[in-house]
Amino acid sequence: MSLAEKLVSSFLAFELDIDIQSPVHSKRTKALKGFEKLGFPTKKDEAWKYTSLKSVIKEDFTIFSKKKNVLDFKNVKNYFLDNTETYKIVFVDGFFDPFLSQTSHDGIDICILSAALTKPIYSKIISKYFDTSINTNDSLSLVNTAFAKEGVYVHIPKNKILDKPIEVLHFASGNEAALMLQPRNLIVIEENAQVEIIETHQSLTKNPIFTNSVTEIFVGQNAHLDYYKIQNDRLMSSLIDNTYISQEKNSTAKVHTFSFGGKLTRNNLNYFQKGSYINSTMKGITIIDENQLVDHHTLVDHAKPNCESHQDYKGIYSGKSTGVFNGKIVVDKIAQKTNAFQQNNNILLNDKSTINSKPQLEIFADDVKCSHGCTIGQLDQDALFYLRARGIPKKEAKALLTFAFANNVLESVNIPSLKSRIKKIIADKLGVDLGFDL
Amino acid sequence: MLSIDNLHVSVEGKPILNGINLDVRAGEVHAIMGPNGSGKSTLSSVIAGNEDYEVTKGDIIYKNENITELAAEERAHKGIFLSFQYPVEIPGITVTNFIKTAINSNLKARNENEMPANIMLKKIREKAELLDIDSKFLSRSLNEGFSGGEKKRNEIFQMAMLEPSLSILDETDSGLDIDALKIVANGVNKLKNKNNAVILITHYQRLLDYIIPDYVHVLHEGKIVKSGDKNLAHQLEEKGYDWIK
Amino acid sequence: MAYTEEELKKELETKEYEYGFVTEIDSDTFPVGLDEEIVISISKRKSEPKWMTDWRLKAFKAWKEMEEPDWANVKYEKPDFQKISYYSAPKGKAKYDSLDEVDPELLKTFDKLGISINEQKKLAGVAVDIVMDSVSVATTFKDTLSKKGIIFCSISEAIKEHPELVKKYIGTVIPQKDNYYSALNSAVFSDGSFCYIPKGVRCPMELSTYFRINQAGTGQFERTLVIADKDSYVSYLEGCTAPSRDENQLHAAVVELIALDGAEIKYSTVQNWFPGNKNGKGGVYNFVTKRGICHTNSKISWTQVETGSAVTWKYPSCILKGDNSIGEFYSIAVTNNYQQADTGTKMIHIGKNTKSTIISKGISAGKSQNSYRGLVQVNSRAENARNFSQCDSLLMGNKCGAHTFPYIEAKNKSAMIEHEASTSKIGEDQIFYCNQRGIDTEKAIALIVNGFSKEVLNKLPMEFAVEAQKLLEISLEGSVG
Repeated sequence: MSLAEKLVSSFLAFELDIDIQSPVHSKRTKALKGFEKLGFPTKKDEAWKYTSLKSVIKEDFTIFSKKKNVLDFKNVKNYFLDNTETYKIVFVDGFFDPFLSQTSHDGIDICILSAALTKPIYSKIISKYFDTSINTNDSLSLVNTAFAKEGVYVHIPKNKILDKPIEVLHFASGNEAALMLQPRNLIVIEENAQVEIIETHQSLTKNPIFTNSVTEIFVGQNAHLDYYKIQNDRLMSSLIDNTYISQEKNSTAKVHTFSFGGKLTRNNLNYFQKGSYINSTMKGITIIDENQLVDHHTLVDHAKPNCESHQDYKGIYSGKSTGVFNGKIVVDKIAQKTNAFQQNNNILLNDKSTINSKPQLEIFADDVKCSHGCTIGQLDQDALFYLRARGIPKKEAKALLTFAFANNVLESVNIPSLKSRIKKIIADKLGVDLGFDL
Repeated sequence: MLSIDNLHVSVEGKPILNGINLDVRAGEVHAIMGPNGSGKSTLSSVIAGNEDYEVTKGDIIYKNENITELAAEERAHKGIFLSFQYPVEIPGITVTNFIKTAINSNLKARNENEMPANIMLKKIREKAELLDIDSKFLSRSLNEGFSGGEKKRNEIFQMAMLEPSLSILDETDSGLDIDALKIVANGVNKLKNKNNAVILITHYQRLLDYIIPDYVHVLHEGKIVKSGDKNLAHQLEEKGYDWIK
Repeated sequence: MAYTEEELKKELETKEYEYGFVTEIDSDTFPVGLDEEIVISISKRKSEPKWMTDWRLKAFKAWKEMEEPDWANVKYEKPDFQKISYYSAPKGKAKYDSLDEVDPELLKTFDKLGISINEQKKLAGVAVDIVMDSVSVATTFKDTLSKKGIIFCSISEAIKEHPELVKKYIGTVIPQKDNYYSALNSAVFSDGSFCYIPKGVRCPMELSTYFRINQAGTGQFERTLVIADKDSYVSYLEGCTAPSRDENQLHAAVVELIALDGAEIKYSTVQNWFPGNKNGKGGVYNFVTKRGICHTNSKISWTQVETGSAVTWKYPSCILKGDNSIGEFYSIAVTNNYQQADTGTKMIHIGKNTKSTIISKGISAGKSQNSYRGLVQVNSRAENARNFSQCDSLLMGNKCGAHTFPYIEAKNKSAMIEHEASTSKIGEDQIFYCNQRGIDTEKAIALIVNGFSKEVLNKLPMEFAVEAQKLLEISLEGSVG
């Protein structure tokens, strides 16, 4: 039985476990029908031209983990930020882990979706926001909706500036031979509120893990969101991250995606601008090796005048790795004075690695500034010579320059401990001695 | 040559000029000074025919003709030239090509024949020399990547080429160093004669040391509040604009 | 000394009619519809050898299995291929007896382009009685060319006279089943041009439009094959700036270029098929497959100015197979009213030290849609491949759209690929600036558009560039009110 068939046939069993009378459930059944019709995407779909899911979905994944594994904090503490106070929401094999987590209901809600979906006090927010922004032609988002049950729930009311970042960690313990996870997250940030979120997916096992995550984010007027995604997983783990961000006027939403690991990582990052004077920023660093594949698909829908979007993605590829970048900018005819900027720069360190880049503009308004640039190239030979003339061996000089190439994306990271952690990962990946630079 | 009578102008419904009266005769140089936001640039744009500015009252009479309703190019054809405060960049069009198009458009509007290429080139060389413009500069794209000074010099070069009757120089001195200022001023002085007139729009007195005005007018809140000779400019320099208010 | 267009014109005026290279076939138009029999009949009519008939049939078989592509960013009613007649007599009767009967709008455009009366007649389909007959011209040139060993003739003639060359190269760059339209063309192509430049020969003249006017009747499924042998050079001009009103709605041409070691081919196109009227009615569908293969040290340069057709689907491409080979693509695509264009190029880097340059300028006005679609592919053995791409769009008004779909695929670490794109509009301030200098708005727009397109216009042969410039102006007339 294929994974798609298995998912569809498991739905009955899933229904035994949840409240099928809740209004959310009709969304689930509708989404399941959609998935049943579409199935998993194939390379024939333009959006999946360069990324095949075949090698991922061939595994016999368990769809619902049976047992809960308990993790000892000292074994996983390296995955948390050091020396930084945070709210923590931790999942192990798809189950909420209350021991490792630190949630809050103190004028804010930082908790879990299973509670939000079932408790009446949340029903207003749920009916207003849940499953309202996803692309109903995307089968992966649909199958996530069908099985939507657990994940992060964050609601920050008006004028609240969150005192510390929220850390979200999804662990896979290896309790099943092969496990599929489908976290579903809902984040609602009301007017003038500010939030920082760090999301990590981490497998602790050699067993295959397939995560198909959907996150819906709503950023209210004048609100500010900083979202960091750390994708530094093991080689048997694959991640499909579908993020939908809807922004109201004057708001800012920045997403940094750090993709260093995993077998296959696909980011579908979608921005919908629903008001004027919005800033949408996407930054990414990808450094991969071996047979890894990282695919960034961004979409910015400029639907209102006077908005901005900035995209800056850097990639460094070695081994037989493959990088994909597809950045789509749509400027609606009423979205005059749009300023959309996109840059994708890549370095291939090896002749067996591949980069496929497709920056795409679709513009229907005439008074806009849109530009995209894409480069695939090598390190600056003059700079390389300069370093070597100062006595730095070629290999180190190259590593240093490569580090510099990726490093400037980090400038906009506002959490110092996070910044140094990412720096360290990059330095390790590239074999650079950071010295005092940490 | 130019007679402005009780001119009121609004931009997007907001009044900027509130009853300007100004008479400029052939052979004269007028300086219009005033603090930021007093309406100086609006006045120059309105005379040149920028449609963003709405004349709500009053008339602009030029060479005995009411030009208030004329299109910008028609005014240009009649000999009105505006040296822009911020000259616009047009990528891919060389200075030479642009000036050629402009001259021939003006000639055509006056029912005259196009200027033969050899005469045009000769004139271009002559005027470029006058303004100390490098010939390489002429083959660059219009104003693209020009420094502030180069842009302003290019404006005066075009003025020299088009030989207008009435030239309005809007903040031509801003962005110029002293050497460039001298070159530009020298160019303007050489182009001046008894048949044409110049309106200088400026914030500072500096330019007026090199181009001596016959009249100085001070603009404040959309009205000419004081007129005098060149000494008025000196007084303004010493006492500042507050003295006028 | 190179033979200039001027000299050509002189010769035109003095030369009398001689035999043309088009084989006379007096036949009526075939019945509508397409099946094997029709394909065989076409081949028979043209007295083609068996291998050619078989080649066509193979293409037809492939075509039957294929589906019309729909990935391009264009919307149109798909033609019914069974309602088209696939063969018509190459020398149709003149439609009009004198220019007085021709649409005055069309004549006005001709005047603006500075096209001679005789040429006007030819283009408008008026019977031409004297002097300007490109058939004779072609013959004149054939003499000059044949002295150098250059073969330039219709593809039908080449099939008969130079079968070894045609057989060796046809379909090698664009296989019959490359795509839906190329397969169709391969099965039913009516006629087209064939050109062979021998080793070390620089073709002394632009092989140009003047010849091609003669072939107006064969336009629907045109087939062109250009072979530049080692170290040779040829510049080929295709199309015409004059608006071509054509009864055929569907055009599916195939152009194959072969640049052998050290050769250079420059291929310039100006396309101005009827774009349909202001309301988007009528107009030609132009679905063209153009591709060249570059062997070692060779160069292929495509330059195109696309202003016509209701729907354009066209990607002149280069396969950079040989080491040190160079591919270039310079394009201006203008769309106005309801036109749709999906055009661009593919640069396939296979050899070492291969270079490609792409400069694409899209200008959209009215309610049109203008898309750039390109692929830059660097294969794993293509050491030191270089590409520079620049795609600029200019929008006039906010009822049109500009789209860019650049695909970039690199598999070699030494590759250097740069892609830039920008979108701009004609600023009110730019127009006012021009107005202030006495230039009216239409002229100002023309000036700005010319500046925007300059990098491409510069690549056209001189006379063509001047005409193309005027053409841009005319295409955008009335686009800004």
